[in-house]
Amino acid sequence: MKSTWLLTLVWIMTGISVASAAPIGAYQHGTVVRMRMGDCMLMHRGFMTQFGPPQAAMAEEGCPEYTLVTDKVVYLIVGKSSNQLVPLAEVIDFRILNKELAVRVDDARKESKFAIKEMTLRSEWELIQKHMENQLNDSQHRPVDTSMAMRNRE
Amino acid sequence: MLGHWHNRLLLRALFVLAFASAAVVCAEDANDSSGPPTYRSTVSEVRVTFFATDENNHPLETLTKSDFAVVDNERVVRNFRSFTHSDETALDVVVLVDLSGSVAARVRVAISDVLQLVAREQSIPDDNLSVLSFGGASGGNSGGALRPAILCSSSCRASDSASKLLAVKSGGTTPLFDALVFAADFISHHRCAAVRPVMILFSDGDDNISMHSPREALQAVMDQGALIYSVDMGRPGNQTSGSVFLRRASQATGGRYFSLRSPHQDGAATVLNAVLDDLRASYVVTYDLPSYQAGFHSLRLLPTHNLNLTFHSRNGYDYEPSGSLMGDH
Repeated sequence: MKSTWLLTLVWIMTGISVASAAPIGAYQHGTVVRMRMGDCMLMHRGFMTQFGPPQAAMAEEGCPEYTLVTDKVVYLIVGKSSNQLVPLAEVIDFRILNKELAVRVDDARKESKFAIKEMTLRSEWELIQKHMENQLNDSQHRPVDTSMAMRNRE
Repeated sequence: MLGHWHNRLLLRALFVLAFASAAVVCAEDANDSSGPPTYRSTVSEVRVTFFATDENNHPLETLTKSDFAVVDNERVVRNFRSFTHSDETALDVVVLVDLSGSVAARVRVAISDVLQLVAREQSIPDDNLSVLSFGGASGGNSGGALRPAILCSSSCRASDSASKLLAVKSGGTTPLFDALVFAADFISHHRCAAVRPVMILFSDGDDNISMHSPREALQAVMDQGALIYSVDMGRPGNQTSGSVFLRRASQATGGRYFSLRSPHQDGAATVLNAVLDDLRASYVVTYDLPSYQAGFHSLRLLPTHNLNLTFHSRNGYDYEPSGSLMGDH
């Protein structure tokens, strides 16, 4: 009887420790395909950011913005500071939590939270990407009418 | 019987035809002075030299290609063509010292650091060490204080060079950006294969008289593939526009930023050890150009797993569509 109680206690304790370690909610998987430093306005809307000293603005490099591609949805997520990074591994684990996107960092229990700036269906996003790429290729191959430019300058 | 003869005749004809065609090909080859045909294709490859530091700011000597990804003009690149240790084995060090009035209070400490650097014979050969100065009361040359002065080049360990260093006087304006352009030009005349050009810049980062802009100054340094290791002579703890420039200059070129030592620290050794350790821990990664967009491509190396790692490399390169091969040097 005593051993049964002990076993039950051990089982409960293990359950509690596992529950506290593993975050609630299933992780989704995705790949970061683009990254740029954008403005931090989405994260900081405070008075000091808008009207603070210029030194602070100079020191601020901006916030990292990532394009995270999953099977069906493409997320545009923004970090809270210049040094908040997403691991750029082939596949990253994440979950949506209170309107934020929590990324599992360093293969550990730690999570890093990002604001979601945009969400697009992957099919739509791919169409837009293709269109942009075509436009870029066209502009590179289109001959430039220099005579027109000269005329305009005159 | 007739069929047998017919077959033999056909075989002979085929043999003669094959021999004749082979002879024609050989004759054509012999007539063609350019030798065998060459198939040409244009390959655009980006080559980035970098090193990584851990959370304690120590360079990592062992790194794998799965530890990082390159962000080239916003695109994440994980497929690399090659990943090897850097072939740079030696340093060409140009020490650039600010003698202007704004750093007058700390010039003696800086000069003492420079003398310690110069004295480290085992680290840098005498031929690969030069000391330049800018600003200052006399400037040290006929051009006056506005022109940077070469205090010593390839003979910095001679006694007269040391006395020249000790005799410098601080004061006047700060042509920092012009001095960086001058130092880049100086490096261009000393470039050797497998030698890493490094600029150790002692300054507070403030400029008040240069003809060149900060952008032009950094571009000139980056064009030479030189790394800036800046030693901030400004007041410690003060986040001034000068210190921001020094940090940015170091970041943009793939170097590092230090504060000028407190009186009891061995500042020169710290900086030089960092330069040498970074050289030993350097890698070269190459990859296919991800976008043929002409102009400046921003560059950033980021970790794939361990977010405590920091990667140091130059922050971009210029891509001209006419050039087939590009590099970071």
